[in-house]
Amino acid sequence: MFYRKMIRDLKENKGAYLACIVIITLGLLVFTAFSTMVETLQTSQQSFYENQNFADGFVQVKAIPRDEVKKLKDIEGIKEIQGRLVKEVMVLKPESKKNVYLRLVSVEPGRENPINAAFLNAGNPLEDKAMNIWIDNKFFEANNHNLNDEIEVIASGKKRKLSIVGVASSPEFIYSLRTAADLYPSPETFGIAFVPLSSMKKLFPDEKTFNELVFTMKPDTDFDKVKTKLEVKLKPYGLKSLIPRDEQISHLLLSEELKGLVAMSKAMPIMFLSIAAVILYITLKRLIEQQRGQIGILKADGYTSQEILFHYMSYALVIGLAGGLLGVVAGAFLSYPLTSIFQVFFNLPGLEGRFSWYLIILGIALSLIFSVLAGYQGSKKVLALEPAQALRPPAPIGGKRVFLEKIRIIWELLSVQGMMAVRNLTRNKGRSLFIFLGIMFCFAISGFTWSMNDLMQKMMFDQYERVEVYDVKMSFASPMNQKSMIRELTAIPGVSHVETMAEVPVTLKNQWRKKDAVLFGLSETGRLYNILDDNYNKISPPKSGLLLSERLAKLLDAKVGTKLNVESPMKAGEKDGVLEVVGIIPQYTGINAYMELGGLQDFLKQKGLVTSCMLNIDKGEVASLRDKYMYTDTISSIDERNQKLDMFKEMMASYGSMIYIYALISVIIGFAIIYSSSVITLSERSRELASMMVLGMTPQEVLSVVTFEQWCIGVPAMLIGMPMSKIFMAGMSSAMSTDIYTVPERITFSSLLMAFVVTGASIWVAQRAAARKIRSLSLVEVLKAGE
Amino acid sequence: MNDPILVAENLQKFYQMGEVTVKALKDASFELMEGEVVAVLGPSGSGKSTLLNIIGGMDKLSGGKLYYKGTPLHQADTKQLTYYRRNEVGFVFQFYNLMPNLTALENINLSVQISQNPLSAEEMLEQVGLSDRGDHFPSQLSGGEQQRIALARALAKNPQMLLCDEPTGALDFKTSIQVLKLLKSFSDIYNKTIVIITHNTAIAQIAHRVFYLKDGRLDRIEKNENPLPPEKVTW
Repeated sequence: MFYRKMIRDLKENKGAYLACIVIITLGLLVFTAFSTMVETLQTSQQSFYENQNFADGFVQVKAIPRDEVKKLKDIEGIKEIQGRLVKEVMVLKPESKKNVYLRLVSVEPGRENPINAAFLNAGNPLEDKAMNIWIDNKFFEANNHNLNDEIEVIASGKKRKLSIVGVASSPEFIYSLRTAADLYPSPETFGIAFVPLSSMKKLFPDEKTFNELVFTMKPDTDFDKVKTKLEVKLKPYGLKSLIPRDEQISHLLLSEELKGLVAMSKAMPIMFLSIAAVILYITLKRLIEQQRGQIGILKADGYTSQEILFHYMSYALVIGLAGGLLGVVAGAFLSYPLTSIFQVFFNLPGLEGRFSWYLIILGIALSLIFSVLAGYQGSKKVLALEPAQALRPPAPIGGKRVFLEKIRIIWELLSVQGMMAVRNLTRNKGRSLFIFLGIMFCFAISGFTWSMNDLMQKMMFDQYERVEVYDVKMSFASPMNQKSMIRELTAIPGVSHVETMAEVPVTLKNQWRKKDAVLFGLSETGRLYNILDDNYNKISPPKSGLLLSERLAKLLDAKVGTKLNVESPMKAGEKDGVLEVVGIIPQYTGINAYMELGGLQDFLKQKGLVTSCMLNIDKGEVASLRDKYMYTDTISSIDERNQKLDMFKEMMASYGSMIYIYALISVIIGFAIIYSSSVITLSERSRELASMMVLGMTPQEVLSVVTFEQWCIGVPAMLIGMPMSKIFMAGMSSAMSTDIYTVPERITFSSLLMAFVVTGASIWVAQRAAARKIRSLSLVEVLKAGE
Repeated sequence: MNDPILVAENLQKFYQMGEVTVKALKDASFELMEGEVVAVLGPSGSGKSTLLNIIGGMDKLSGGKLYYKGTPLHQADTKQLTYYRRNEVGFVFQFYNLMPNLTALENINLSVQISQNPLSAEEMLEQVGLSDRGDHFPSQLSGGEQQRIALARALAKNPQMLLCDEPTGALDFKTSIQVLKLLKSFSDIYNKTIVIITHNTAIAQIAHRVFYLKDGRLDRIEKNENPLPPEKVTW
């Protein structure tokens, strides 16, 4: 019998209960899908790292003789250390307009359990001395290669054919970026190839040394201690960088992503479940008030309080179970397509969706705990109600004056409906607070999401639309002479302007703080690479002294006037010197320092040294420029700015869909909160509202009392939502900022506007639904009953 | 007595209650005159409230015709009925139906605000003898006081017709007489039509005419040549 009563009662208030179910479903969907994905990613990552013997440290040097590497193994804490030759080559692809690069990584086919072993997905083992390679599967797929295809590359200025004998992946290149500034992998234009060391020697006959080292450490070894010792030993070989696994790009980005997913998989479900719990609590509490008389009769009939309490809690149980089941099932299904999205970005073998009973049971349990707690809180009043007391009507609602009435000027501006609305705010403070918080979160979520979008755009587009404004940038394989390069390049047909620059790896030290970065030497009168302040004013690079990016300055704790010790493998004579910080500038990608080119050359004691040049060139001449320089070993890469810009545009489009998901989430939250609270308000005040209609007010006028009240809460909530989104953004910024990119802690004006629109719209839509309820209010029915 | 302001012809109202059709009102025909006081008597379920709801534009007819000053109300849509209630009709209920979070004066102002030709709220408050209670909330007033405020709220709109559903049903004798006096004087001073639904046959003595309802039918209409002044009524 109770079962039927429950079904009918649930139907009666289906709007509010449905809102609860939807929110619980969403929460558990996120929980199950994301937790499953996190589990999958973590397991695949760990087993891949272990099986392939992933390195603990990564070193780049100018050149180290092969025999010297073995000696480094004696350093305390190092388990194994291996040298390798890593070279980037251009792929000849006449049909492609884009520049395609392969990073060749030397491997030793016979070696047992090498560090960063490539995992062969398909194909045959590599043969020593043969021109055969394993290629990473993303590049292989993106370029539609087949096994035994030949790839033509330019190595040491010569065309070479490399035969693909296998498809492989490596823990080092799970997330493979050509440069740290790329942010997203582009497997079509960049790939990794594993080449036998003996074949590398043939490809690069001049290279008799290694330029990279990878090492693993013994358990419980302190990386910094090893680092200090290695630094000393490697100084003579031109140490460029020495980083722990934590700073390795692929690992760093994968871990960041995992961290984000873990946070999402916890925070979102808790937020959703809390909101659902509050709605459930309010709805049940209201139901108990409404059914006071029925409860009295049941008690008078001899039902125990526990039986009745259990009956009302069963409503919550049903809602929690329904939402929970729907959510976990949908989430389990969603985890498959989500995982395949990750497969696009992350090159992890064995990464596939899986079904986890543990997570499903945990999810349902979570949902039940939240709803049963909400149900108990909402219905516990039943216990205290004495039958005789329950049968009596509740004490009438008293009116109260509110604070605003003391400000006569404002108070008198209000219509009588307005006064009612304002007084209603304090009538149920808990509920008003809930609406307030709900709208605030709804606003903050959408404000901060849109801001992220704006800022990501700004980060990317500023870099390639305002900072780097050349048509083509050519990087030299080794430092060149400034004058001769300018002379040579200016003579190329179609080239209208040439600027050279130096990109020098440096280690900056401020007392014990130390950071590896790239120091840019830019021409003072240059116009192809601009250093900009926050307002896009151009700043000239200083002749003596350094400009630091904000993040670099923060990491070094450097201020204007701080004297930094600057060390560089490219410096002639003394390897280090002192430079003063003369300015700090905003920069969102990479961490760099800047100097005037001549000043930098003087500091390095390398007159005329440049490492790359930027050109303005007619569009039609780019292809012939590429043809001309591709075969020379002086040029390591030719980048077109347009290509990078296009890549970012594509990337932003994929990020865009995330924005809509977040916006949808905030709309759903806003809607559910406003709708369910309107429905409850309407049922609570149906008598009042009906009386107003009897007086001759139109449904619109009656609705305006309810909506005015909601806007009274909504508008301040949105206003408070502004600093709230700023706090979200600051949290996001500190969580997401790495050496690769810095997320500014700013909220853009347009995003606030967007948040207003989205939040406002969800409130408005919920009010439309409430309006329908008011129109269908039966005056006769409502007024017939006594209070 | 003046001209009829409301003409009802064969009013019918059916309710569908599950599979049963309840005939709440069957073939009621009558007229209401300007300035008259009509009492509607009948046992529970005889259709009194249904009749009042129909006259007041709160409910739609199932059959028959209803004209207010020549306007066919049986053809009116929801919006037209709303404006009819707003401009022509005042309601008083057994359970007051005041807004709990508006003060007495504000409750009256609520109806003043939407009327085309309202009376002064303060004046109405004075007329019902509660000038000193204007800033009290309903929960701070006695039942009789609340009903007087409800009455003032209905009258302040300056309606042509005042419809009262058991206006004294929840009040003691003394307070009931006060309320009846107010109703009667309103009718006398402003020449308004008043319809009072009641169980209490004694109250019918103040009416010009008494409608007897029985089982959904208007059984008979009795004319009262000499209505008693409210203060003379006892029960």
